[in-house]
Amino acid sequence: MSNEAALDDLRATLTEGGRLSDEQVRNLMLKTDLLSLGMLADDVRRSRHGETTTFVRVAEVPVKGAVSTELRGQAMELRIIGVPDSPEVMVSAVRLAAEAGIPVTGYAVHDLLEMSNGDMALFRHLLDELLEVGLAAISELVVDRTPEPESVVSTVVDAGLAISRVTIHEASGDKRIGFLKAVAGWTLPDRGVWAFAPLPRAAVVSEPEAPPTGYDDVRQVALARLLVDNIGSIQVDWALHGPKLAQVALTFGADDIDAVPAVDAVDLGPRRTSLEEVRQNIRAASFVPVERNGCFESVM
Amino acid sequence: MNPQTVDEIARKVGDGGRLSRTEALTLYEQAPTHLLGCLADEACARRHPSGIVTYIIDRNVNYTNVCVAKCNFCAFYRPVGSPEGYVLGFDELFTKIDETIAVGGEQLLLQGGHNPDLPLEWYEDLFRAVKTRYPSFRLHALSPPEIIHLSRLSQLDVPSIIERLTDAGLDSIPGGGAEILVDRVRRELNCYSKASASEWLGVMRDAHRVGLRTTVTMMFGTVESLDERIEHLMRVRDLQDETGGFTAFITWSFQPSNTERGGMEATGVDYLRTLALARLVLDNVDNIQASWVTQGGKVGQLSLSYGANDMGSVMIEENVVRAAGAAFCMDELEIVRNIENAGFIPKRRNMHYKVLGDPIVQQREVPRMTTLAQARAANDHSVPEELVRYRARTPSGKRQRVQH
Ligand code: SF4
Repeated sequence: MSNEAALDDLRATLTEGGRLSDEQVRNLMLKTDLLSLGMLADDVRRSRHGETTTFVRVAEVPVKGAVSTELRGQAMELRIIGVPDSPEVMVSAVRLAAEAGIPVTGYAVHDLLEMSNGDMALFRHLLDELLEVGLAAISELVVDRTPEPESVVSTVVDAGLAISRVTIHEASGDKRIGFLKAVAGWTLPDRGVWAFAPLPRAAVVSEPEAPPTGYDDVRQVALARLLVDNIGSIQVDWALHGPKLAQVALTFGADDIDAVPAVDAVDLGPRRTSLEEVRQNIRAASFVPVERNGCFESVM
Repeated sequence: MNPQTVDEIARKVGDGGRLSRTEALTLYEQAPTHLLGCLADEACARRHPSGIVTYIIDRNVNYTNVCVAKCNFCAFYRPVGSPEGYVLGFDELFTKIDETIAVGGEQLLLQGGHNPDLPLEWYEDLFRAVKTRYPSFRLHALSPPEIIHLSRLSQLDVPSIIERLTDAGLDSIPGGGAEILVDRVRRELNCYSKASASEWLGVMRDAHRVGLRTTVTMMFGTVESLDERIEHLMRVRDLQDETGGFTAFITWSFQPSNTERGGMEATGVDYLRTLALARLVLDNVDNIQASWVTQGGKVGQLSLSYGANDMGSVMIEENVVRAAGAAFCMDELEIVRNIENAGFIPKRRNMHYKVLGDPIVQQREVPRMTTLAQARAANDHSVPEELVRYRARTPSGKRQRVQH
């Protein structure tokens, strides 16, 4: 099959909502040039989300930190960060944050499991307590740190919670693609996971000389859009990846921007605020910005 | 969107046709980003079928930050008499050249402010001194507004200035100071008086006539309309039709931090679209350079899919865009890795875009450079000894020389 015919074949399968065969995935990886891949991913993204790109302004709250009331109206998600010493601290941090009246997310699934000593009954009990004090969703499920992710997600959903995003902590080369395939293979309950953030969050310690390039990153985003059809949103991180890459990733299949700072860390002076900047970036990429909250609800 | 029109234009460019101003505007306004990228990528591949992506090892040195032009988009300059003003000494420049040669470089990109206390003789002596010490070292120096400044300062016409500088050792002229070659824009940016659009192009015409090759730049994302951005490209294309003297086109987005103008920076997608359009409009300019210095390494690398065939310079030093908030750094190893990762073949070039060979890092050990050098340490206010030999024009310049 010629490259063009292979592309048409891929496009037909994807726009009909079908899953790619192993051979099609191989073609995608080995034979498709970057811009064709981007076009395919953009087609699929537009068929699922139209022109809408969502974004969320997040205020990170240290697990033992106080929550400023001034965040109301600025943050649409309070995200508790850090690993607490005990389940009690975990619960009280959520209770405190919830008083601000902003959706609260926090913690990674593997930390909750560790806090429960791997005991699923204790894990479920902890989830119930967190829900009761106001947790809207668990911040993340880290693919490379969470054993048996499918059953964990089921337990979370049974408890009435959801997982805000699936992330990859650290991976390079083939391993990055391997995680995409793994996530695509999961059977997930409806709306159990809201977003997948396919770009690894940390540099690979053993490969300090070879950080991922722009090609690596947008290819990963596009492949995530094309392979992972069991999670609604493909997400990029404004703070972690920077406005430019995050924006370009929107044209390669991403539809959600996470971690726009609720409060600008520095005085931007005559520059724009992050809110203006993210909206401008989304529009300049030919999409329509829609602000959402930590529950993935539009707040327009 | 009118897909028929975009499709027709796309077909025309795909067949190697020349874009009119209206067609260029339609493409920019209506074509999806990936389509623009594909068209530019194809145009680039037609011109450079070997898959080679070039870069140069050189050093971007700013010999003085004292400037009377006061462009309102510039975060780099200091007014005459400012305690933060500096002029580099010849010895400092020699040290920078030694460091450049040590990492395989053979050229200095030398530009600076319009300093009224540096007469033409200072430049001539500097160029001669460099060429005496380093005969094969190249000087890619003094953008058109600096040449116009010297012309006004010394009451000589531009061709005479170019002749004297060339006699002293000037090898080629960088295309800085073009900003947008439309006078309405230049007036708003307060850079009309340093060089109007025709004056800027006139210097390049004069340079090309005497056989000098030059680059050409465009800083976009300030006050220009899309139509004016395209007018800039058209003017460059017209002069290139006439002289054929431009080796490469380099565009970057205005960096607003610490500038009087302030405001917003154009986005990464704006940059990639503008780059792609430049490749399509400038069908008579061989090389289109990626500006990773302003866009960062990742978007810089992505430029290679949007019409760029050159990764610019392994930056050893940078002062101008750094002052405006951009301080990305890539050494040769990193540039080579990015080119290969994008599926191209990295080759070193000289300022005439002639391929010199394989990367130095593939031939011998080269020290890693993970931070950009600066013109001078912030607290270094020394005045070079040789300055006393040159006549100062301003009261503060005269005072400084007497004290010295
Ligand atoms: S851009 Fe150049 S000419 Fe304009 S103020 Fe800055 S140093 Fe001077």
